[in-house]
Amino acid sequence: MSEFEAYRGLFVAESRENHENIIKNLLILEKGSDPEAIGEIFRSIHTLKGASASMGYAQLEHLCHIMEDVFQLIRNGTAAMTPELGNLLLSCSDMIEEMLDDIEAGGDSSSKNPDEYIASLKTWLDGNRGTAPAAAADKPVKTAQAGKKGGKKQAKTPAAPSAGPVTADSGDGRPLFDVRITVAGECAMKDVRAMIALNNLESLGSVVSSTPTKEQLDEGTCDGTLLVRIASDAGEEALRTAASGSEIASVEVVPAGQDLPKSGPPAPVPAAGAPAGDKNNNAPAKGPQAADKAREVKHLRVDINQLDHIMNLVEDLVINRGRLKQIADEHRIKEMDEAIGMVERSVSDLQNLMMNIRMIPLNHIFNRLPRVVRDVAQYDGKEVEFIMEGGETELDRSVMDGLNDPLLHLIRNAVNHGIEHPDVREKAGKPRKGTVKLSAHRDRDNVIIELTDDGGGINVEKIRAKAIEKGLITKEEADALSMEESIDLLFQPGFSTADKITDISGRGVGLDVVKRAIEALKGTVRVETTPGKGSSFELVLPPTMAIVDVMIVRINTKRVAIPINSIIEVANFDKAAAHQIGRNETILLREEVIQISRLDDMFGSSENCEILIVVQYQKRKCSIPVTVVEGKQEVVVKPLSGFIGNIRGISGLTILGDGDVVPVLDINTMI
Amino acid sequence: MGKILIVDDTLFMRTLLKNILFSGGHTIIGEAGDGTEAVEKYKELKPDLVTMDVVMPKMNGIEALKSIKALDPAARVVMCTAVGQEQMVKLAIKTGAKGYIVKPFQAPKVLEEVKNVLAT
Repeated sequence: MSEFEAYRGLFVAESRENHENIIKNLLILEKGSDPEAIGEIFRSIHTLKGASASMGYAQLEHLCHIMEDVFQLIRNGTAAMTPELGNLLLSCSDMIEEMLDDIEAGGDSSSKNPDEYIASLKTWLDGNRGTAPAAAADKPVKTAQAGKKGGKKQAKTPAAPSAGPVTADSGDGRPLFDVRITVAGECAMKDVRAMIALNNLESLGSVVSSTPTKEQLDEGTCDGTLLVRIASDAGEEALRTAASGSEIASVEVVPAGQDLPKSGPPAPVPAAGAPAGDKNNNAPAKGPQAADKAREVKHLRVDINQLDHIMNLVEDLVINRGRLKQIADEHRIKEMDEAIGMVERSVSDLQNLMMNIRMIPLNHIFNRLPRVVRDVAQYDGKEVEFIMEGGETELDRSVMDGLNDPLLHLIRNAVNHGIEHPDVREKAGKPRKGTVKLSAHRDRDNVIIELTDDGGGINVEKIRAKAIEKGLITKEEADALSMEESIDLLFQPGFSTADKITDISGRGVGLDVVKRAIEALKGTVRVETTPGKGSSFELVLPPTMAIVDVMIVRINTKRVAIPINSIIEVANFDKAAAHQIGRNETILLREEVIQISRLDDMFGSSENCEILIVVQYQKRKCSIPVTVVEGKQEVVVKPLSGFIGNIRGISGLTILGDGDVVPVLDINTMI
Repeated sequence: MGKILIVDDTLFMRTLLKNILFSGGHTIIGEAGDGTEAVEKYKELKPDLVTMDVVMPKMNGIEALKSIKALDPAARVVMCTAVGQEQMVKLAIKTGAKGYIVKPFQAPKVLEEVKNVLAT
C-alpha cells in the first residue's frame, strides 16, 4: 500500500465529498423516491468503493461494496427505500466517515469494525433479493467466477473443434479460417475477453459462425474457449494478431477444414507479462511529455499548511512594505518612492490573490447541516423543513474553521428549542411542519449568515425569570430590562432555558459559547424574535480576519489601532459638553448622549486629549478620547492567544512600518 | 506510445491512472471529469486512446463512448470498470469499446491493455 501513500490526502478529500453527497441524497430520499438522488448515491458509493480498493482499504471497500449492492436493487426497482433502511444507510455513512477520519489520521480503516452494519445490510439483501428477478448485473459475475474455479462447465459446446460440420464455403470467394481463442485462466471476465477478440476478428472479415455465439457470450456462458469460423483475405497472421490481446492465453488459426491442434501450443503471441518491447516503452523522451502534462494541469490541491505559510510571508511583506514607505517618506528619495509605489501595487495584488485562494464556499460546512436537522427533528419528534440558501458565499478558511461549531449549535437550538411539536403548532394554527431557513450573502465588506425559524419565538418573560432564578440579575434589574437587553441574557455564561439538557442540544453549553466563538472571529450575533412567530439569528462575519483597515491614533505618546469599520465619526472633544451621569462620563454629541471610554489604564491620563473617536458596535456607541490621529493603514493582526491568552478589548497586535508594536482594539468586546 | 485522454470523475483515479500511464511512456494529452467533457475533449485533442470511467455524473461512460464512436468510428476506448460490472462492460464492448481495465488498477495490466489496444 505504501506506493499509494502519496495519494492519501487526495483520497480522503475526494472521499469526503462523496460521503457528503451520499448523506445529502439519502436525506432527499427520505422525502420520497427520487431517481436522480438514487443515481447520485450509487455513483458516489461506487466511486468510494473503487478508490478504497485502489488504496487497499479492505474494510472500507467491503462496506461500500455491500452498500452498492443495496443501491443496485433500489436503482433496478427491485426493492424500495424504507425509513428503516434509510436509518441503517445513514449509520453506515457515519461508519464511512469514521473510517475516513482514521485514514486521514494515518490509519488504514482496519481499526474500525463495520461487521455489524455489513451483517444488517446482508440481512436486508437476503430479504429483498429473492422477491423479484434479481439484479441482472450481479448474477453473471458469480457464474463467471464459478467458471474460473472450474466448478461449472456451462459452455454448450466443449472445447474440442466443432468446425467440421460447418460448410467450408463462405460464398464470396474469400478463404475460410477456423480460429480457436483461449482466454487466460485468471481472467475474471472471460466472456468479455472473448467478445473483444470476436469484435477484433470481425473487423478483418465476416464471421460465419462462432461457439459460443455472440448472444451466448452476452448471456455469460463462455468457459474460456472461443471457436470462430471466419471468411477473410487478411491472412492467418493478421487474424492471429487481431484475436490476441490482454488475458488471451493462446490463439490458433488454421484454414477451414484442417483440424485445430488438440491442445493449444505455447502462446504464439506475447500475452500477459512484460515482453521485451516493454522496455522501449519505458524509455520515452521525457521533455516534451512533461510540457504536455503541465499544460493540462488546471487545478491543484495544495496542503493548507503551505497556504498558511505563504499567507504569513505575505503578511510579513505587508509589514515591510509599510516600513519601506516610511523610510522613503523620511528621506524624500523620489526614485525610491516610485519603486515602492510599484512594489506596493504588486503586494496589494498578491495579498488580494492570496485572500481569494483561501476563500472556501460556505457549502463546505452547510452540507453537513441537513443531516443535523434531520437527526434532531427525529429525536424530538418534530417535523422540520430545512432550507439552505447562499452556500456559494465564500469565507476565509480560518473564519470557516471557527464557524462550524457555533453554527451547529444554533441549528440544533432552532430545531430543539425554536420549532414546536407538530400538535402544538397545529393548535396555534400553523402548519405541522416547521421551517428552519439558513441563508448567507455577502454585504459590502461582511458575510451575513441568517438563521430563521417559524417556531414559538423566544419567551422573554421566561428568560427574565430564569436569570433571576440563576442569580444573574435581581428582580428590580429584570423589570428595567428592555426586550433586547433581556434577549442578551441568553448569551450570559451558564444560561440555558432548556428545562433539561438533551443529548441533542449539546453538552450543556449555552449561547454564550456561540457568542464568544463568533466574537473570536471578529463577528457579531444579533437576535430578533417575535413571540409565536419565530426567531432569527443574524451572524455578521468579516470574510477574512488576517488583514484589516485600521486608524492609527496616539493617546499621549502611545499608539493604538482602531478598526475602521467600527469608527463612525472623528469629532472635536468639546469638554464643556461632557457630563457625569451616574458612574459614567458622557458627552452630548449631535443631540445624542454618548458614553466616553477613557483608556487611561493602558495609555495614561487622557486629560489633554482633544479629539474623540466615536465607535459603534451594533446599536451601541461610545467614544474614545485620543491625542493625535496619525492616519489610516492596512495592517496584519497577529492574534494574542498563542502567547498570553485572549484579552477582552484587544483583538491582537500589529507591527507598524517603523517596527512599533501596536495593540488593535476590539470594539465588539470593549463596549 | 500513445496520446491518451483520461476520463474519470475523481481526481484521485485520474492521478493514479496518469502516473501509471506516464510511467509506461505514454503522453497524457488531456483529462475529463464527466462524459460531456470527454466528448468535447475528444473533438479538441484527437487522442490515440481514451480511458473511460463508466459511472460518472452528467453523461455516463457508455453514453460518452457512443458519442465518441459516432464522431470517430475508429476511436480506441478502454473502459475502466470494477468487479461486478460485467454487464456494463459487455454493453460497452458491443458499443465499440476496444478493451477494459479493472479497478483496483494494477500497473502492468493497465499498460498491457493500453499497448494491445493501441496496436489495433
